[in-house]
Order: sequence, then structure tokens, then C-alpha cells
Amino acid sequence: MKKVTVDPITRLEGHGKIEIFVDDDNKVQNVYFQIPELRGFERFCVGRPVEELARITPRICGVCPEAHHMAATKAIDQVFGVEVAPAGRKLRELLYNTFYVTDHTTHFYILAGPDFIMGPESDPAARNILGVIGKVGMETAGAMIKLRAEAAEVISMIGGKQIHPVCGLPGGVSQAITAEQRDRIVEVTAAQIEFAKFTLKLFDDVVLGNSAYVDLIKSDMFTHETYYMGMVDENNKVNFYDGKIRVVGPDGVEHEKFEGKDYLAHLAEHVEPYSYLVYPYLKSVGWKGFVDGKDSGVYRASPLSRLNAADGMATPLAQAEYERFYSTLGGKPVHATLATHWARLVELLYAAERAHELATDPEIIDPNVRNIPTRIVGEGVGVVEAPRGTLYHHYKTDDKGIVTNVNLIVGTTNNNAAISMSLKKAAEGLLTGGKEISEGNLNMIEMAFRAYDPCFGCATHTLPGDMPLEVTVKREATRDVIASVKRNM
Amino acid sequence: MSSTLVLGMGNPILSDDGVGLLVADRLREGPLPDSVEVVQSEVGGLRLLELVRGFTRVIIIDALQSPAESGRHPGEVYRYEAKDFKGGHRYGSAHSIGLDTALEIGHRLGYDMPEEVTVFAIEAEDVETFGEELSPPVAAAAERVFALVREEVGAA
Repeated sequence: MKKVTVDPITRLEGHGKIEIFVDDDNKVQNVYFQIPELRGFERFCVGRPVEELARITPRICGVCPEAHHMAATKAIDQVFGVEVAPAGRKLRELLYNTFYVTDHTTHFYILAGPDFIMGPESDPAARNILGVIGKVGMETAGAMIKLRAEAAEVISMIGGKQIHPVCGLPGGVSQAITAEQRDRIVEVTAAQIEFAKFTLKLFDDVVLGNSAYVDLIKSDMFTHETYYMGMVDENNKVNFYDGKIRVVGPDGVEHEKFEGKDYLAHLAEHVEPYSYLVYPYLKSVGWKGFVDGKDSGVYRASPLSRLNAADGMATPLAQAEYERFYSTLGGKPVHATLATHWARLVELLYAAERAHELATDPEIIDPNVRNIPTRIVGEGVGVVEAPRGTLYHHYKTDDKGIVTNVNLIVGTTNNNAAISMSLKKAAEGLLTGGKEISEGNLNMIEMAFRAYDPCFGCATHTLPGDMPLEVTVKREATRDVIASVKRNM
Repeated sequence: MSSTLVLGMGNPILSDDGVGLLVADRLREGPLPDSVEVVQSEVGGLRLLELVRGFTRVIIIDALQSPAESGRHPGEVYRYEAKDFKGGHRYGSAHSIGLDTALEIGHRLGYDMPEEVTVFAIEAEDVETFGEELSPPVAAAAERVFALVREEVGAA
């Protein structure tokens, strides 16, 4: 048997890998997906005042510090048993949606762009952001960079700091915004809606306009019928900041819906000896191994999952896109992993619209942004939808608010089992029976993996998720490497 | 106007990975020439591009972990120029845009980009344990890099 290794290595933090074992006919035998462990996160947190966790946990990861800040702040609200002041809540959600705009935009142009705008089997030397810039033109690239800069401006206006926000306090946020700041945010978010619309149009032209891509997206090789998790508001519409967790089955029907604080009653963790990263699954269904279908508790939490788990989007333009998404892809739920890229753009438009809606809400400049806590409850679970999946922060403290216990489930961890399954299926589809294993093949296996935008920074509690990647194919019988491709190394 | 950005990078809660931030903290205490600005950054990629725009010169201080077979030892200091990082523009995730790619994007977009980028990289002992302490060899190296950077910007 031969072995295929997809070898992601973080900038500084050790080493993870994906190994694909194949037999003499390149038939895939097994796929192992391993990442390194970071030590001592819980110990680092225990003994500190719980308020500090809103500033410590964002440092787990340089990619989505805003998501950790929000989940932590929400958990801390509960630890102190305090209601959040309405304006404070709105400012948090405004900051958070602005973060989504920048994160999803970056993902599309940098990660999906090379595969779809350049082509999955295009010359690897050009299959990157620089190739994308060459193709979409300087004007679009400049607009993307400008959008990022303006989003950063809004985030630092509300968050107090550009990269790692510090605004979240139990009961609200640390400062109100002025009318002038609000006017600027209204202007920025209006431009973001236009950019999101432009990006969806680009996706239409480049991806949906190319039948080969549509076939690839819909192909069985990139399809899994799993459960889907996502946060929804009271109308079962997608919400990133607050709501209940809704899970739908592979048939698209609601399977369960629960409060974030009850997550332990609904989720359990499977452990494999070869991986430090656990595999969460639905307790009510049970762990049946790395398989999909109604009897397997494997679920996914991603942009695609959120769309599947909801009944729609809460803003008008995004709702129209949501409807077009399902009518184009054959109804709900959509199981095609690569459709995640389109789902992400539907969410991009929603995030921009929602941010604009909040910015134009008269209450957003209300100076009463915080309720001062008066007691300590001692436990809290904060849940938000991080761009890469549902993020749970669970803290326990003593009666003085000193941390005694921390548990996190991060976006990528939710998808750990599904990522392994997607890699295996893509490898089976691409390698089996093939005589040669090409760089293009290996890239397409990686596409299955990149659709989730896995962030091992978060999953293993490392920074910054900066991940060079090596794909190696090995013969199982001899363990000889027969093909490999590297990036960032 | 000629200006220099000193950028201390790393993660303050991951042991030796915090070394760049600590050196930047000390440099900030000065005194430094007026044309020098010291910034701490815990991020890379495109956010790096936004930080370095407009400066003539950038000096980056960061931890480095070389493969075991490199024969390098914790506390060793390596000096690189931007050209040393030229190795293609491939990446596996949205957040792993490298220094070279970030700089290249800036150039292509016609931004005012630094003419000179120098990196002081400190070989780390441990970047996988949560903590705020440096290992002894890296703490000693931090002293040397502090002096080297001060000399580099004409403050020594």
C-alpha cells in the first residue's frame, strides 16, 4: 500500500499532517489527519479573574480574535448573572458582523479565489492571491484591501483596539460611540454591502457560469450527507452573535434545538489515539465512526451548515441570495462541501446588511452601553457562530470570580470528523484507479479540506493558524512516498 | 520622509513566541530617533501589509522554530532580508499569507512600500506551552537583539 500525506505545519508551532494510504492500484485504504497539541491552556487560565479571559482567549489565534472575544464576553455576562445593556449588545453585534465581512471577504479572494478564479488544476505558481489579483484586476484587489482597512477602522472604533478587541465587559461594552463615529460606520457598511454584491456577481460569472465548476461542486466526491449545526434567531434565521443552536438532519428536518448553555447534553467527544484533536458528535445519534448518513452523529458547522440549519436570512438581499442558492443547487439541504464557498458569500452579504442595519439603529449611539454586575453566579457558557463554525466557551469560577475550569469547542473542532471524511472521499474519487498522482489531484484533495477553512491555530489553541501544507502519497505496504506537494515550506 | 518601523511579532501567551513583543516593549522605552516607530503585532498575513505601508524601512523581531535537523540551538539569532523569504506564494489557509506574498501584493497595488525589510529571528526553545516566561537562552538572546536593533536604528 502507498501513503498520501497532506502535511500542514504551522509557522512556529510544530506540525500536523494528513496521511493517505493507498494500495498498489492507488485505491485509498485509510486517511489519517493529525495535528499537534499545545500544552497548558487550561492551566494558564485557571486562577485568573474571569474578566481577563475576554482578553486572553483572543490570543489563542490571530485569525479570529473577535470571535473568541465575543464568546468569552458572553460567557462572562453569565458568570456575573448580568443582563447586557441594549446598546452594548448592539455594538457587540455590529463589531462582530463587521469582522465577518472582513473574514469572509479575505477567505473568498485568498482561499477560494485561487481554486475557482485560477482553476483547480492551473499552474500552482499562479494559483494564489497574486494570480487572483492578476485576473480580477487591480481595482478589485484595491477595493478588497480598502474594505479590510475600513473594517479594521470600525472594529478599532468599537473594540478599542484594532486586532484584539478589548471592549467586551460583563453587562455590555466599555464605551459608547459618538454620532460622528456612527456616521462613518454607516458609510463604511453601505460600501461593504456593495462590495458583497459585487463579489457574489463575480462568483456568478466565474464559478456558476462555468459548468465544469458547477459539476465539480455537485460531484459525489465532494458530497457528504451529514447533520448541520448553526445558530438561529427566534425566527430560525441565521444569526452570528446570539440565538439558539439548531441542528438539522441529512434530510433537512430539525433534529434538535438547544440553548448554548446546554451544549454538554447534546454534544459528546470521540477520541482517536493518533490525534490530539477530539471529534465532537451528536449525543442523541451516537458515534458510528467516520461515516455520514442519518445514523451517524457526525455533524458539520460551517457557512453551509448555518444556511442548512436555518430557514433563511434575516436581511432582504441575503434572503434573495439564500433562495437562489437553494434553487440553483436543487433544494435544501445542500450536502456539497464546495458549496460552502457560495454559502460564505451569502453570509458576507448578510453580515454587511446586518452591520448597516445596526449602524442605522438610533439606539446604537445610546450612551448607556453597560449594566454593572452586582453578583457572581460562577458559571457561564458563551456561544457565537465563528466564521469556521459554532464556538463554545464554558467557564466556571469560585465565588470571587476566579477561574476554576475552562472548556472550549472551537469552530474547526466541530468539523474534525467531517474534514477527515471529506479528505478520504476526495482522495478516493481522485486517486483510485489513476496511474499517476498529479499536483492537480493533490490540490483537489486539499480543496475538500480548504472549504472548511480549518484553523488549527484555534483547534489546538495555537497562534496564528499560519499553516504550511504538505501533501504526500505513500504506498501502504512499503511506506514509500510516491508523490508529494508542499506549500508554505 | 524617511521612517523606520520596528515590528515586534509573536504571541504573548505562548512562551518563547512572545520574545519579539517583549523586545519591542523595551525598545519603546527609548530613547529612539524621532523617525523610528515601534509597534507590537500578534498577527501576520495581510494585516502585516497594512502595518508596514508608508514606512521606508521595516525591522521585524520574531521567534523562529527551525526543524530539528537544522542543527540550530535555542537563543541563536539570525538576520534575514526580505529576499531570504522568497519561496513562492503558496499557502494552505486564508491566514497563512507569508511576509513575501504580503509585500508583493503591496507592490502590485502600487502602495508606498518599504525599501528595506530586515528580520531578526530568535531561535525558540518552546512555543507550544502556554506561559508568559521566556526560556533562559531566549531571554538572553532578547538582550542581544535589543542592542542590535538599537544599533540598527542609530540609537546606540
